[in-house]
Amino acid sequence: MRTGALADATLGSGRSRKPNLDLWICWWLLPAFYTAFAVIFVPLTRVMPPPPPGLSVAQITAFFHAHRETIQIGFGLLMVALGFGCIGNGLVAYQMTRMSISPVFAYGYIATLAVGALPGCLFAGLAFLAAAFRPDRDPHLVALLYDVGLLTFVGSLGCFATNYLVFAAAIFMDKNKIFPRWMAYVSVWQIVTEVLAMPVFVFRKGPFAWDGAISFYEGTVIFGVFLSCLILLVRKAIQAQPPDQPLHA
Amino acid sequence: MMTLNAQSVSLWIALFFGAILLVAFILFPGFFPPMSPNMTAQQVAAFYADHTARIRASMVIFNFCGVMLVPFFMVIVYQMKRMATPTQVLAYCYLSAAATGATLFAIADLFWLVAAFRPERDPQLIMLLNDLAWITFTAPVGMIVAGNLCLALAIYLDDQPKPVMPRWVGHFSILVALAIAPSAWAGVVRSGPLAWNGAISFWVRISAYGAFIAVMFFVLRAAIIREGSDDDPSWGRSAG
Repeated sequence: MRTGALADATLGSGRSRKPNLDLWICWWLLPAFYTAFAVIFVPLTRVMPPPPPGLSVAQITAFFHAHRETIQIGFGLLMVALGFGCIGNGLVAYQMTRMSISPVFAYGYIATLAVGALPGCLFAGLAFLAAAFRPDRDPHLVALLYDVGLLTFVGSLGCFATNYLVFAAAIFMDKNKIFPRWMAYVSVWQIVTEVLAMPVFVFRKGPFAWDGAISFYEGTVIFGVFLSCLILLVRKAIQAQPPDQPLHA
Repeated sequence: MMTLNAQSVSLWIALFFGAILLVAFILFPGFFPPMSPNMTAQQVAAFYADHTARIRASMVIFNFCGVMLVPFFMVIVYQMKRMATPTQVLAYCYLSAAATGATLFAIADLFWLVAAFRPERDPQLIMLLNDLAWITFTAPVGMIVAGNLCLALAIYLDDQPKPVMPRWVGHFSILVALAIAPSAWAGVVRSGPLAWNGAISFWVRISAYGAFIAVMFFVLRAAIIREGSDDDPSWGRSAG
């Protein structure tokens, strides 16, 4: 509990009596968004698990031909859905402003993901939509869009690594115990997965390719663990938060 | 009276650059009427060859002025933080959405400018750049939709005798979000109202967004003036 903020009791007067309704609405959007994310990227657009980097130009055209409709439905939905990911980011950053440390890391959390959303997620959608837009496009250009889409999606490393770094550092230094200390170690593991994905720009097959056991599967499993923990821990943090807690960060 | 402070300056910056953006919008030869997604590669290349100077002029203005609207959205963030909502989470969500949304403003024009840089390039490549420009410009509407819904929710939860913004602004914000949302399909279809040159994805989206900025200019102006004349000790004022 943050005694400094509670001492400032006058600020709380007149505040809403609906206890943390805004937090709960934002929280529900977290599992909703990542469910939509999973549906879009796994069954619909086939980006997860990714098709191999070693396909020939003809095979890449065949891939877009075979999955054209679902790619279009999936990434058409992503164009709207991604905005709701921003809400989840704002919620986590808000919880970080409740920590005993300065809000520097909370602001860093928002800024890194605001940068990462485009190269790390939206670009895959734009490239695949452009590839599916004209089935008669020059096959070499379709192959270019395939590489742009998958390399930006799997290979956008720094935006997210920085995000995990500020998140882990914030948890380590926070004395209010907004998130348990072990979550910081999970976040550190996320940084390791980003490091292990660095070779995707070199290898076209094997464990370090963009569809490889290490670059993709290991990273995705740890991301799944990280995300599940994050969603549950944010829920616990909201439950533990006294209503009408005035804050200004 | 609205005195000169960071907020009012942000509004005037938006008004000034918004007016210039309107000129750039009218200047771009591909907007009146909006280019059809069904043009052939040769037609697209010919369009860039015929209108090179005006495409460059309008898009370099768009490039320079588009992100100048960001301080305006930060005034919305700050005014959301003044609201008597249970917490300030929605202001952070809006900030997050506005920042990501602005990156798209910064990128769409680059594709148009690269295409116009060498109009003699292989028409297939010009068409690819043109496709990417139009899809990036039209389809990724989620950030505006989510931001507007956050703003509306914050207005509805602003539980105080003198709310920061009137409730109708919340309804209006949702209406704009609903009008803009269908444009997400512009990266999928090549004809009809949802195509990038269609009535909904082009005219409705741009009109709704323009109306949002125009209306919010006056709403924010009123909120800033009220904040300045407010005798209550409001914690946010010193930061205004």
